[in-house]
Amino acid sequence: MSRQLNKMELISAYLDGELSQTEKIEVEKLLESSPELRSKLEELKKVKELINKVKTIPESPYFETRLMTEIESQKSGSEKSGKWILAAALVLITLGVMTALKINPNLINNIWEDQKTLLSGFYKENLKPVLFAANLTTDDIFNFAVNNELPLDNSRKQYLLLGYDDSGKEFFEIRTSDEKLKRESYNNFIAAMKLDEEQKEIVDSILVSYCEALESQLLVNDNNTVAINPNLWNYRKAIFADLLMTAEKLNDKEFYKVVPGGIDLNDRVKIVHAVERLKTSAANEYIFVTPDSVFTDSYEFIHEEHQIKILEVEKQIAVHEKEIEQFNLSIRYDTTLKHLSAEKRISTQFHISVDPNICRIDLPEHQIPDAQFPDIESINNMIEVATNNIHFYAYKVPKVEKSNTGIKFKYYDGDSVHSYEIEYGELNLDSIAAANHQLDLYRLDQLPPPEPFNDSMLAKYQFDKDYYYRYYSNEELKKEMEELQKEFHQFIKEMKDWRHEVHKEVTKSYKK
Amino acid sequence: MDSKEIENDLQQPQILTLEDDFAVIKRFIDGDKSAFKILVKRHKEKVRNIIYITMNSSALVDDIAQEVFINVYKNLKHFRYDSQFTTWLYRITVNRCKDYLRKMNVRKIFSPLDEGSQVTEFPTPVEENDVSKIVMDAISQLPVKLRIPLILKDIEGFSYQEIAESMKCEMGTVKSRIFRGRERLKEILEPLEKELMH
Repeated sequence: MSRQLNKMELISAYLDGELSQTEKIEVEKLLESSPELRSKLEELKKVKELINKVKTIPESPYFETRLMTEIESQKSGSEKSGKWILAAALVLITLGVMTALKINPNLINNIWEDQKTLLSGFYKENLKPVLFAANLTTDDIFNFAVNNELPLDNSRKQYLLLGYDDSGKEFFEIRTSDEKLKRESYNNFIAAMKLDEEQKEIVDSILVSYCEALESQLLVNDNNTVAINPNLWNYRKAIFADLLMTAEKLNDKEFYKVVPGGIDLNDRVKIVHAVERLKTSAANEYIFVTPDSVFTDSYEFIHEEHQIKILEVEKQIAVHEKEIEQFNLSIRYDTTLKHLSAEKRISTQFHISVDPNICRIDLPEHQIPDAQFPDIESINNMIEVATNNIHFYAYKVPKVEKSNTGIKFKYYDGDSVHSYEIEYGELNLDSIAAANHQLDLYRLDQLPPPEPFNDSMLAKYQFDKDYYYRYYSNEELKKEMEELQKEFHQFIKEMKDWRHEVHKEVTKSYKK
Repeated sequence: MDSKEIENDLQQPQILTLEDDFAVIKRFIDGDKSAFKILVKRHKEKVRNIIYITMNSSALVDDIAQEVFINVYKNLKHFRYDSQFTTWLYRITVNRCKDYLRKMNVRKIFSPLDEGSQVTEFPTPVEENDVSKIVMDAISQLPVKLRIPLILKDIEGFSYQEIAESMKCEMGTVKSRIFRGRERLKEILEPLEKELMH
């Protein structure tokens, strides 16, 4: 029995490649002569394969930050006072402590308050404007005004999205996307407004003038903190309003498509006032999103100080050009935030929801300092109308996916995803004709017979925005196209009948 | 501000050099506390994973891993260079897991298990993957002394020698435990074969 067991263990070790050369030869001999051992080897192999299917745990991007905070706090705790031992207990939460918490639920709140003071200092260290690093372009600022998105780094894969929920309350999301955030809306807007190079430069200069102000609104540091100034929501509106005013000045005729009737004088004055006040106000209350919590606290970002640093950095830019190009900020929110909120360690101020690509934080009411800028609120309606209309110009090229049954279009618009599905049977003939120059719509009978699930012809289908525009804005053309579609359907029907006839004939002759 | 500081200022990701663990430990002992971060960065995921699979739960992973590294931080100055750093690290990890499992068993005896609200699991890919979940549950039914060598071998890819050092036992014992672990696991998984086949 024991010998048999010994053999089995050898087989197991053989599977792991843990035998000496002599043992290996011996086992291979045994395997050759014994079907029982061979089947044991197969069994063990299967078990090993199954164990290999166990998935590993997702990485924890904040582990080091927390660990180092904990080590620091333990050090300072032993040096200064016993108070921090309590704070340490939060992180080193043991089952014993958990039982204690059950008995005294207030304990955790007290610890949390202590910890917060410590952490808030830690997370406020060395904050820098992220937008400097993200290298904002005029496209980015335009996109921020129109689509509420700001890239968080050079790779354009992480971005901040500002939004409003159904009840009008603000929220923001830190999103990670596999694809680069790429919007071409600014150029479309310039083209739609029919602005020439010189006029574009004027719009450019307006957008650039906000760069510096925006910088202080969004700060990050290497402790994975993102600090957002709630004024960012107001900036979005101000930039947009300023942009509209400039566009109206440059080409009022085209501008009326965005804001029918234009901006009235009263609103103009309000915009100028609001922009002025916004640029000169010192709003030092920031929302801090850290790996451990989300909280508001005051923080003074001194632009001049940072400016000096930037100048020095700029001197070195030539030297570090490559590194700067490769710069990739790693703000990664922690899935345990959700865990924290579930345990109510975070004050109920913020509602946090997290999924693998989005961290959304809903702000409590009155978080945005709107009372300071009543003018902005009063032009809200105009901004809303313009936002809706501008999307027509700020047209985004959709993502196209093909499947066996049709084509799916998906495009992102602000915080919502629009998706359309067109079945192959419903494709617009004229767009196919446009993409296939040799196709003669009047000689469709010369088309090769269609094959099921063969989309080689459809591969040339293009989502042509001019076509889209013409199609939906020209009633006459639309009618014509519909007629053509009907004809085409008729043609398909005829083809089918004809095939049916042929089939009948063929089977008849076969029977004969 | 010199060029080095500026690089830091731009939050350049640290490039992992080929400096081995011993050299990093030496730097730490000589007073460069930042060297500790390199060790953590290098080994944290393996440590977290061993804890995750041994405990069959994601809830306590970071707490236990933190205890492990704090232990390392405090005792690194006494590190003798007579074995690999990882062997020492994994030994601490394995022991810490054993402590927790023991505590949990004691707790099970004294209190009913209705504390789901205290230890909230956050979603992990395991929950989306049935096979992985079934196998992990089965592994958790193994006695600890069979469970740990099997995890170290089949999931973490350690050699028998490394496992023996991490668990402070003989190579022969490791060989025997791994075989017994696999046999026991096969018995547990047999009734679930249908679910595993899809």
